[in-house]
Amino acid sequence: MSRESNPIKTTVGVCLGAWARLAGMCLALLCMQIARPARPGQASGHAAQRSKLYVQSQQAMGTAFTIYLYAGSEEQADALYGAAFEEIDRLDRTLSNYKPDSELSRINRLAGREAVTTDPEMFSLLQSCLEYSKRSGGTFDITVGPLMRAWGFFRGQGRYPAPWQLDRAREKVGWQKVQLDTGARTIHFAVDGMELDLGGIGKGYAVDSVIRQLRTAGVKAAMVDAGSSTIYALGAPPGEKGWLVRVPKPGDRSQTISTVLLRDESLSTSGSYEKFFQLNGRTYCHIMDPRTGEPVEGMLQATVIAVDGTTTEALSKPMFVMGTAEGAKYLAGFPHVSGLWVAGEIRAPRVVPWNWPGCAGDCGDSLGARGERKANRQ
Amino acid sequence: MSEMDRRTFVGNAAGAFAGALLVAGCKEAPKSVLPAGAQVRLGLIGTGSRGQELMRTFLRVPGVRFTGLCDVYEPRFAEGREITREQTPIYHDYRELLAAKDVDAVVVATPLSFHAEHIIAALESGRYVYGEKSMAKTVKECDQIVETVKRTGNYYQVGVQYHYATWYRETLRRIREGKLGQVTQVYAYWHRNNNWRRPVPDPHDTKLERLINWRMYKQYSLGLMAELGSHHIAFANEVFGGVPESVVGSGGIDYWKDGRETYDNVQVVYRYPGGKTLSFSAITTNAHEGAQLKVFGTEGSAVLTEADGMLFYEAKKLKTSAVTKVLINHGIMTGASYMPEMPYRGKGEAVPVPDDVEGNANYLACESFVHSVLTHQRPEADDQLGWGEAVAVILGNQAIEQEKRIWFRDYMPKKVEASAS
Repeated sequence: MSRESNPIKTTVGVCLGAWARLAGMCLALLCMQIARPARPGQASGHAAQRSKLYVQSQQAMGTAFTIYLYAGSEEQADALYGAAFEEIDRLDRTLSNYKPDSELSRINRLAGREAVTTDPEMFSLLQSCLEYSKRSGGTFDITVGPLMRAWGFFRGQGRYPAPWQLDRAREKVGWQKVQLDTGARTIHFAVDGMELDLGGIGKGYAVDSVIRQLRTAGVKAAMVDAGSSTIYALGAPPGEKGWLVRVPKPGDRSQTISTVLLRDESLSTSGSYEKFFQLNGRTYCHIMDPRTGEPVEGMLQATVIAVDGTTTEALSKPMFVMGTAEGAKYLAGFPHVSGLWVAGEIRAPRVVPWNWPGCAGDCGDSLGARGERKANRQ
Repeated sequence: MSEMDRRTFVGNAAGAFAGALLVAGCKEAPKSVLPAGAQVRLGLIGTGSRGQELMRTFLRVPGVRFTGLCDVYEPRFAEGREITREQTPIYHDYRELLAAKDVDAVVVATPLSFHAEHIIAALESGRYVYGEKSMAKTVKECDQIVETVKRTGNYYQVGVQYHYATWYRETLRRIREGKLGQVTQVYAYWHRNNNWRRPVPDPHDTKLERLINWRMYKQYSLGLMAELGSHHIAFANEVFGGVPESVVGSGGIDYWKDGRETYDNVQVVYRYPGGKTLSFSAITTNAHEGAQLKVFGTEGSAVLTEADGMLFYEAKKLKTSAVTKVLINHGIMTGASYMPEMPYRGKGEAVPVPDDVEGNANYLACESFVHSVLTHQRPEADDQLGWGEAVAVILGNQAIEQEKRIWFRDYMPKKVEASAS
């Protein structure tokens, strides 16, 4: 799993990073206020009147998972939280590339030398990843680790690599070099030294798993937030139509560019403004275009809504990498999807919605920038 | 270890047993040399939380497939099949699973009170068994399992997975090489800060509560001693080369007064031959210590966690040296004296792990069992190791309950048997 880096080198970065964290907390508080317990007479059902909103947060997968849920009592909520965070921990212990004893780390160390057998859950997740890579023309790629290292973004703030560093990294990158054998349930790397990083999908997968668990336990309304980059809304707070989620202005989370009402769907955001460096007037962010082996330029943020967390998380990075035109075409291949890009420079961002809820009118006006609505198919 | 060794080992509590476990433990954990393409079909009795974790881990070992899932709680079957991603046959009665022809070996992950019944039946059916720790709930049951292994020739592996952890093996090797000097004490902690309960879909359903939270009830469980203590005890037995001579203990239900019957905190001190001790503490009100085990020797210490190990060496003792006449002429200065005796806060040395052994403790334990099934070799963490661990758990619990020192010699198989074998 990717882990948020600290400390950030550039002055701008520090500012934005700190703001992002502060605003993240504000967002959490805001959600709590929005999803307030029903007032008497306002609730739609009798169950809603009895239940109260609870929140618990825990560190996992290099970020904080926050779960808001309605439960009949604190005891009941505690039991749900216990099971939910145990499941997140289990997935962290399995999918992490930071924990040396995780299943993914075992695969990473061995698969260059031999075909490694893994369990059906891991295998099927890796299959999905390669499927996303194929569909997205390689813009989604769980093998970009060596490129991240070459560009200094693995636990660092970034640096321009020497050409030989880049060449060497490119040799070890490419989803086509990951060979899966479905019959034997094995993974093999065509090139030794490759590594898999599930940071672009694992949090969404964990969110989905928790949501399944909550549904089975009979929870009617909940919101699972994986470090704010993937948020799933289950049902709606009593008397409400859904859970409100705000999309921030890149680099300034005190400003909202869009507020959406989520219900039984997920939203993910990829952003480049937390980790980047500047050189000779160009900005290099930590999101790689696996096709070129270089950081994506000219994109600030990509947000997507779809049916589940695995999908949104797996779509948000390709959206970011492809940009608005190619990205919109890509999104059109998935059911019930909406997208919102913020492109350009941080001082003059452009908002580009695609099939975005409530964006027919003045989306993007709060930025003082003109939104490109041509792509909006709403 | 041979049966002869075990008899010797348990027969002469005064010291002859010391070498027996040592011999077994000295071998390196078997490397991954599984025959290519070999298949092992596993049947699982007890598809709960631990059983599911074992399923995932076993499925990472090449050639493993689950061909039977047994449980008494219906939702477990769907959960189990979600892990195998196939329509694995299900059984409501373990005897039906054991009657199935397509099960090569059996994994037992049921509540402690059912271990012996399930393990013995599986061994009798001709299967090798991987049984969750602790081995069994009474000394008699432990003896019966050992007897069944001997009689049937089918092996049993106890689920004390840290036995297979590379950093545990390496630390043990160094201890035996004398790198820590004479090891006199092991301090082991398993400290948590939670109520140790599992969520029950309907908290008012007492039957379901007892089924899911079986660890809370004496009918099924020996509580913290068995569920957490067994790992540390198994290792201390290896460090000291046998089972303890006696144990005293303390414990109670002092914080989580929620209807549970097993202690929410336990502290036990085991004495091994030669005055060596294992102090084990499990609490549920503070997680500062976490799960760790400290080995103290005259030359150094080892600190082992679930993920790694560190070695620390004692400060070198000061040497005597000659003094010049100046001291006699000038004397020495007087003043207030105080030198705090601080804990060591310096750097340690990480226990190196071999780079040709891959996988965490769970994986290595599962792989080793599969290896055993395919090659018919006795597992490292065998019934002997399980016997030592489980009997110490049982008597530790007894010491707490009876508030008195319990002597292991009173529970050893009779000497007559030893000479008869």
